[in-house]
Amino acid sequence: MNWNRRQVLWAGGGMGAAALLAACGGGDETSSKSPAKASEKPRPGGTLRVGALGRASAITRDPHGTQANESDYLIISLVYDTLTVPGARPNTLPRLAASWKASDDLRTWRFTLAKGAKFHDGTPVTAEDVVWSLKRLRDTPSGASRLPGIKPANIKAEGDDTVVLVSDYANAELPLLTRLTTFVLKKDTKDSDLGKAPGTGPFELDWFRAGNARLVRNKDWYGGDPLLDAIEIKIFESPQAMANALLAGQIDVASNVGAVAARTAEKRRDVQIVRRPDDMAMPIVMRTAEGPFADARVREALRLAVDREAMVKQVLSGYGTVANDILGTGDPAYAKDIPQRRRDLAKAKSLLKEADFDLSKTYRLLTTEDIAGLAEAATLFASQVREAGVKVEVVKQESATFWGKTWLKGDLYTTYWGTNDSVVFFASKTMVSDSGQNEAGWRNKEFDAAYEKAMATKDAAERAELLHEIQQFEYDESGYLLWGMADGIDLAAASVRDLPTLPGYGRVQLETAWLAR
Amino acid sequence: MAGSLIGAVRRWPGRGDEPRPGPAVVRLLLRVAAVLARRALLLAVLLAFVFAAVELLPGDAATATSERGESTADLAERRHLLHLDRPVPERFREWMTGLPTGDLGTSAHGEAVADLLARPFPNTLLLGGLALLVTLVASVALGCWAAAEPGGKVDRAVSASATGVLALPEFVVAVALMLVFALWTDWLPAVTLTEADGSPASWKMLVLPVLALAIPQIGWNVRIVRAALADESTAPHIETAVLDGLPRHRIFTHHLLPGALPTIAAGIATSTGMLLGGAVVVETIFNYPGIGSVLAGAVTDRDSPLVAGVVAVTGAVITGVLLLADLVRAWASGGRT
Repeated sequence: MNWNRRQVLWAGGGMGAAALLAACGGGDETSSKSPAKASEKPRPGGTLRVGALGRASAITRDPHGTQANESDYLIISLVYDTLTVPGARPNTLPRLAASWKASDDLRTWRFTLAKGAKFHDGTPVTAEDVVWSLKRLRDTPSGASRLPGIKPANIKAEGDDTVVLVSDYANAELPLLTRLTTFVLKKDTKDSDLGKAPGTGPFELDWFRAGNARLVRNKDWYGGDPLLDAIEIKIFESPQAMANALLAGQIDVASNVGAVAARTAEKRRDVQIVRRPDDMAMPIVMRTAEGPFADARVREALRLAVDREAMVKQVLSGYGTVANDILGTGDPAYAKDIPQRRRDLAKAKSLLKEADFDLSKTYRLLTTEDIAGLAEAATLFASQVREAGVKVEVVKQESATFWGKTWLKGDLYTTYWGTNDSVVFFASKTMVSDSGQNEAGWRNKEFDAAYEKAMATKDAAERAELLHEIQQFEYDESGYLLWGMADGIDLAAASVRDLPTLPGYGRVQLETAWLAR
Repeated sequence: MAGSLIGAVRRWPGRGDEPRPGPAVVRLLLRVAAVLARRALLLAVLLAFVFAAVELLPGDAATATSERGESTADLAERRHLLHLDRPVPERFREWMTGLPTGDLGTSAHGEAVADLLARPFPNTLLLGGLALLVTLVASVALGCWAAAEPGGKVDRAVSASATGVLALPEFVVAVALMLVFALWTDWLPAVTLTEADGSPASWKMLVLPVLALAIPQIGWNVRIVRAALADESTAPHIETAVLDGLPRHRIFTHHLLPGALPTIAAGIATSTGMLLGGAVVVETIFNYPGIGSVLAGAVTDRDSPLVAGVVAVTGAVITGVLLLADLVRAWASGGRT
């Protein structure tokens, strides 16, 4: 699933303060407390009160709708199941689909449903329900991007427990696409009944009111017994209010609350800071198609001019890791062996000279304040590349203007992505020549060929090699300057255990959480 | 508009020596109806303006609710689903025709606007109403206390602190209150959480938001009350009452305060709008489930039906309060002159 830009609007708003704090304090020691102690045995019972970000104006109950609210998405993904879910290694794990198998041409995929899966009203889940749900999803305006390459007619049931998806092209990583949005409802659920439509998830809806909800344990869940008796989800418009509620003991978990809150909570012994690495990429896009950055040597120079450690320390308050210009850092297939780029101003200067880059001009770096840290990153970047002789002026644009006028078109701008556990995701969405979101206008035939070959390769080891090749291309030539990865940050009360540490939407997997009280 | 009402009730029945009460009541009702009609028209114009203004903002509800990766065709479909492919006047007309039946349209995220406002609006009314009540009681009490001895210690202290707080933005007051009463002392809840019925889980959760809203308004209104009383005290009939040797408290309650009432009512009425405006900020800080946060989000999403829905319900309330204030002023000033 792509991150809707609205979905991350709150991710720690006002991080400017954090950047300032970090800049002044200079401290980068950040304690990562383990959410669970190994010696403890998980205990059933209790109600977990979770705060999640959302706006009352953007509430939606439709599992296939535009879920701009993290709170809505959290509720939906605890009540309904997707075919697969995000994992650490591998990055795709079974859920409602217990297993899957591809044809030799990697176009036809058969998903077998989990045994014993039933809706909260007791009726068993059939392949027909899944097919109906996937088609419903596919028919929404987001359907084509959520299930790319799969036409509605190519979603079919085979018997009671098998769903067949036929892709328009070979796609070795198709199950990855079914992770975040393929919520299954009962066949023929009416739109007017969405608010109370039974799901198959680990929790059942008790009540929902104005964005808040109470969910109770599904005792019959096919995936095992959830430990918590109930989860109460509270909608928060601002991360600050959510952090305050946690510090005052009114909630047990502040989900995706951001680095500012983490810094505030560092002094508190009764609060856990849960860091979820590889949560958010905020790369700088340099247009490769034309313009001043079309010369690969110029892009290389800027990549060498940025001080990555300083960026992570100041922009992310230290809650993040240095990155290497390759997107998909959370992927098990991520190429760790490609040498880390470090700051080298001398080399940067000589490359700029070699490329005959016009240093007398001032270049505009366009950015927004959509997410915390984005504009701050742009500002710090501008001051860093100044040391290599490149003059950059940061221009902040209002969100709608930025997305309408700058995104996909600008020469130099910031972007951000929240799904970072897949190299293929970025390659397919943003770097293949004809991809719909080719942010830098990058066209490289060899890259395209390597990507297509990887997608049509069934053998895992062979594919891994091709994926490595893809990443080498990105490292050398793409239009991205990825200086670091921001951690996702949750705050939790001392008694909360086993919260998910996955990046992005992996944070919703609360079925394993429990309370030590 | 207020003036016309005052004209109508200058000879309010029961006050003064009106010999023919019947026609006067009719005339009053007609005037009230006329004022109401004019206000309703104003509200309609305002709503049209809202639709036009949202249209002028960059981007639209389709782009605001779309996900990255949607093609131009997907966006066009989204526009079609949201009726954005139709001209603004047509969308406005369509929305307005639903208004009398209570149908406020559908939000950009596909929920009924009336449902989205069903809990937040009463919550904001409760918050705003309580803040207005606190403002009224506190500012009249403090203003009278200050006016009791003009130039005295109390007067100077009250006037100075009133000037101090009226300049404070709500968010400063809100953050300070939260720090002191919730995070440091733990006396009151930091944020508002709701029950299954969508209202605040405990009355304690209302205390800080109400205070944060009321304090700046109290500052403003204390000064108005104080000034109105000072003006009134120089009026000839007050001097006469003093010379007649009437007891002080009687002069206060029967002569001074009624005379100052029109000004006080106008001040409080003005505060209604300010309170609802401040609610946007205060609700966010305390996570109060009100209409302010709905409005802010709706503007971000270019969600015209939702913005218009918020404006319609709040506009109706403000119209009501202003009308009430007009009537109070008319009634109070009708007895004299």
